Amino acid sequence: MRNLLNFLERYNNLIIFLILEGIAVYLLGTRNYYHNTRAVNGVRWFTYGIEEKINNTRSYLSLHEINENLASENTALRNSINRLVRNNTSVFFSVSDTIYQQQYQYTTARLTNNSVNRQKNFFIINKGAKHGLEKDMAIIADGGVAGVIVGCSENFSVAMSVLNLDFRLSARIKSNGYFGSLSWNGRDYRKATLSDIPQHVSVSVGDTIETTGYSAVFPEGVTVGTIIDFEKPGSDFYNITVLLETDYRKLHFVDVVANNKRKELIELEKQIQ
Amino acid sequence: MINSILRFGLIFILLVLLQVLLFNNIQFSGYVNPYIYIMFILLLPVEIPSWLLLILSFGVGMIIDFYSGTPGMHSSASVLAGFVRPFVLRFISPRDGYEPGANPSMFIYGFRWFLVYTLIIVLVHHTALFYIEVFRFADFFRTLLRAMLSSLFTIVFVLIFEFYRKGR
Repeated sequence: MRNLLNFLERYNNLIIFLILEGIAVYLLGTRNYYHNTRAVNGVRWFTYGIEEKINNTRSYLSLHEINENLASENTALRNSINRLVRNNTSVFFSVSDTIYQQQYQYTTARLTNNSVNRQKNFFIINKGAKHGLEKDMAIIADGGVAGVIVGCSENFSVAMSVLNLDFRLSARIKSNGYFGSLSWNGRDYRKATLSDIPQHVSVSVGDTIETTGYSAVFPEGVTVGTIIDFEKPGSDFYNITVLLETDYRKLHFVDVVANNKRKELIELEKQIQ
Repeated sequence: MINSILRFGLIFILLVLLQVLLFNNIQFSGYVNPYIYIMFILLLPVEIPSWLLLILSFGVGMIIDFYSGTPGMHSSASVLAGFVRPFVLRFISPRDGYEPGANPSMFIYGFRWFLVYTLIIVLVHHTALFYIEVFRFADFFRTLLRAMLSSLFTIVFVLIFEFYRKGR
């Protein structure tokens, strides 16, 4: 007993150190922390006020740019509506709506927290389970890919940004349809790497990269970025550098995309496995 | 006693605010992320009991973790920094030891002493932090480079703050 007490006295710093470090490593090890809505709520409660203020200031400062983006998006949408309307009147159009189901639904949300300077970046948006958001919904910003929701609380959702070492996206070259896997290399927040494109495919700088829609998260054909550089390493595949369409430092408003047929698709996929 | 608690409380709040509002938003080619909150651990009195030092280190790391949404990352690195601090202090102690109740300060023990002290602890903290963040040994040297560059910036900021703190 005496020895034990002596031991404790002698090494008490080491013991406290190990205990605290153990707690920290435990927190670190619960990798699905972000999926834990209670934790998200706790953090929100803790930091909400201050982040809200920072964000208000930030979005106020870039109002001009946001307006410009909205205006150009409006024009694009108006153009596409015109095209659709003309299509519908010129050909026979069925009134019954049973086959013509909407597959994707969009809703806008605002960022309350964002980071680009880490190796594993997440951002938080101000809509959550209450607004019908769920895990694995896609997030699009300014016409480009932004991220995927990994956890929802009542009023907020946490999304894994493309700028995360764990993020993988199935993407293809628009001009020829060859698809590969897009990931971030952790260096530049504007650039990502597209891999698994075989070397017999012709690739040129300036080609557009878009999503494939294979993952049932992102709709097909959302722009990811453009090729700015590619090289042929020793293997059979290209090393393609992609300039991302979305500027993550200027992310303020995003569109959340819900895939209404996702459940159906996943169930079907389960059946074949 | 109350006075010094108040003083370190203020330093704590100031550093956390600076870190969260300013330095967390710095993006400099993805290689430089200064974490100046570590200065809180540097400034605590020399004679502070080790257990308190460890708990305070854990606390400051925890708060930064809360604000940056990275559970355990900063806590583990800053607890490590708090753990090595007494050893560093012993290692570089002046010939006639520390005066009772002294604070580790550039103006008492000289610039070189303070620089070595800051250098060792910041390097330990940042190296641990950046490897914990990436959590893999792929890109080993790139992570090392990030840690070194960020440490450099942190040290510069710490020295500037130290000058400013005593300059008044």
